[in-house]
Amino acid sequence: MSWADLGGGVLRAALPLAVWGAFASGYAARARDGRMLASARWSALGALGLVAAASLSMVGALLSHDFSIRYVALNNARETPAYFSAISLWASLEGSILLWTTVLAGAVAFVAWRGTRGLPRLASTALAVLFVMLSFFLVLVVTPAADPFVRIDPAPLNGRGPNPLLQDHWLMGLHPPLLYLGYVLFSIPFAYAVASLILGEGGDRWIVATRRSALVAWALLGVGIVAGAWWSYAVLGWGGYWAWDPVENAAIMPWLVATAYLHSVMVEEKRRMLRTWNIALVIGAFSLTILGTFLTRSGVVNSVHSFTQSAIGPLLLGYLTAVLAFSVGLLLWRAPRLADPGPVGTPLSREAVFLFQNVLFVAATLTVMLGTLYPLAVEAISGDQVSIGSPYFDRVEVPIGLALLFLMGVGPQLPWHGASRSTLERQFAAPVLAAAGGAILAVLIGLRGPAPVLGFALAAFVIATVVQEVQRGIRARRTLHGEASWAAFVNLFRRSGRRYGGYVVHVGIATMALAIVMSQAQAVQAEATLAPGGSMQVAGRTIVFERFRDVIEPRREQVVAELRVVDGSGSGPLAAALTYYPNATGAIGSPGIRSSAGDDVYVILAAYDARSRAWATIQVKVIPLVSWLWIGGAIVGLGAIIAALPTPKRREQLAPIAVGASSAAGAK
Amino acid sequence: MAGASPPRRRGGIGGRRLLVLTTLAIAVAIAYVAFQSLSASAVYYLTPTEARSRQIAAGATARLGGQVEAGSLRYDPTSRDLRFIITDGVTRVVVVGRGAPPALLREGAGAVIEGFFSTDGSFRATQVIAKHDEVYVPPSPSRTPAHRTPRRRLRRRDPPQAL
Repeated sequence: MSWADLGGGVLRAALPLAVWGAFASGYAARARDGRMLASARWSALGALGLVAAASLSMVGALLSHDFSIRYVALNNARETPAYFSAISLWASLEGSILLWTTVLAGAVAFVAWRGTRGLPRLASTALAVLFVMLSFFLVLVVTPAADPFVRIDPAPLNGRGPNPLLQDHWLMGLHPPLLYLGYVLFSIPFAYAVASLILGEGGDRWIVATRRSALVAWALLGVGIVAGAWWSYAVLGWGGYWAWDPVENAAIMPWLVATAYLHSVMVEEKRRMLRTWNIALVIGAFSLTILGTFLTRSGVVNSVHSFTQSAIGPLLLGYLTAVLAFSVGLLLWRAPRLADPGPVGTPLSREAVFLFQNVLFVAATLTVMLGTLYPLAVEAISGDQVSIGSPYFDRVEVPIGLALLFLMGVGPQLPWHGASRSTLERQFAAPVLAAAGGAILAVLIGLRGPAPVLGFALAAFVIATVVQEVQRGIRARRTLHGEASWAAFVNLFRRSGRRYGGYVVHVGIATMALAIVMSQAQAVQAEATLAPGGSMQVAGRTIVFERFRDVIEPRREQVVAELRVVDGSGSGPLAAALTYYPNATGAIGSPGIRSSAGDDVYVILAAYDARSRAWATIQVKVIPLVSWLWIGGAIVGLGAIIAALPTPKRREQLAPIAVGASSAAGAK
Repeated sequence: MAGASPPRRRGGIGGRRLLVLTTLAIAVAIAYVAFQSLSASAVYYLTPTEARSRQIAAGATARLGGQVEAGSLRYDPTSRDLRFIITDGVTRVVVVGRGAPPALLREGAGAVIEGFFSTDGSFRATQVIAKHDEVYVPPSPSRTPAHRTPRRRLRRRDPPQAL
């Protein structure tokens, strides 16, 4: 039996299971029928097993270079190394949808086995919703829309090989799966929210039930976005990491809405407010994941007219429309049951900060969407092709980002319900001093202009608020539980993980803000044409072009410029290359990067003498603090892990930590 | 309304009204800046023929898409002057820039150049965006490049006359 028979067969077997699962779990929720629920559970497990087998078949086909499968012939070659063969599972449309379907099947099985224990009716209804989604994606992969196992007869002797950009860096194995996991896991909160509406529940049980999955989805998406920026920095060879490309925008929009949601649920949990709003945010985040897939997978960003060339575009658009119509309709129908007990009151309270924060996150999403979709609208209306470049996004999103940074510092310092003047003074004295210090430091190191200086000041402000909170937490634990300082520090994160994990995330974001400010404002660039042995000076460093080296491998050929970076502390080798792949029309630049905590030296071989190797044009960028962008992303991930870890069972009853320090009021 | 809201610590005008007004003001300000910047940042994508027939004003940013004419690419490694002709089969436009051509810019292949027309009718490139798609598609005027287009900036911050 061939890989195609196996993969295609198991996918076709999974579809009826998913359809049955939707029916069984829906019926189980309605009739409270335990046997049907059991049947739905086993269907979920069966569907997961089958879809996972299909994914593994594809990986097997890629690894064994089975070119009788069209997807393999188009995305793999005999010369492709095993690692890049395996990760070609997500190199192109059909494989990506297969991976998506697999992750979704995993989410379905998770809810079927874990979720239905505590809240059988809510979870069974959510399970039915998830099974319907899974059925949709299974329809995609068993019809020509995105069937990964379509065959070619006769099979070619060799395949075309993966897109060169996808076989140039190990990060390609990390960035897409993280993004897909994030995208797909948003289905769980969405399904619970819809289930809560269907059942007419007024409460926030669905929020509690999906707290962890929403957090994990958000974190995976966020880390996936940072990994993508890193990949783009390491591979694309322009020394940047973010270009407001439609693909990047598609990934960041759901993340922005989800960030708003993670904060506004706290208002609902504490004050029973914003119920309708929270459901709307979950619907928004989930719909944006589909919009993102539609934008990136249908070809619509190339041209409005190209998306009808494959069946996937209209199908995804139809799915998006159906999801929106169904969930918004439900929300409007059930809105009267979701009435808030009271409006948010005073501006100087934590709930008001969350409100402002939500407004800003939603505004950021809508403005990114405007810039992303505007070219499509213009083309559809007038036929003109327009692009919206980074000036638009920079002008709009930078102020919003700074305002959010400000609120990130302010929010945790304000008590619920409202603050008095003495609270304000006590809470903000140290952070405001830190902000002033940050601003002065920014000016001293040569930053000019309001945005970079404010960015520095606000990042310092945020970090200072977190330090202050942690100090107070430690002091409170020492007083209340008599713990040693280090034990109190560890226990803050273990026992109040959600709150202090959140602060770690804040530190990660502030770190990234500093990295963005410095790498944007103080990067230095130079370009020179050098003969072998020649050198150039950039930002106090000498770059020596030592020699050319030609590398010929079966799958590619490289022209490598071997360089040496010499600075005060020593010297080190660095190589920049142009790589030629047989399936690409031009060379792919492979930049050389020498990272340190202070800055990166980024070298690009821009041009070379093809005949006699007599000269090379070398472009050098010295980019300060850019590696802190990836470190900041890792800190965000760490914070999310701390926040998502289950809290150990408490022996002692924690009195509200806040008796003495009012800021800590309302801590869990 | 006031009865349901928590006790106010601060006096003055109603906290809730202040909150609503602030929120509205933020939303309006962001919408204003967004729409202002949108029209200012829109860069039109044109073929050489369209660019000629619409008489794009000198200095206005545009993207020019077409094919790099075979035999026209000249790069002087010492001065780093770059010069080539971009054509859509009907109209030819001379493109000048400074800096090494991106590896993807090849004679006979499609390319999109961002820049502006100077008064002598040549196009001053600020950024070369060579096409690089998953599947190679011959250049056609009705397609702009998108996904993950490697781009290189050519002295973008310089004033126009420096080129």
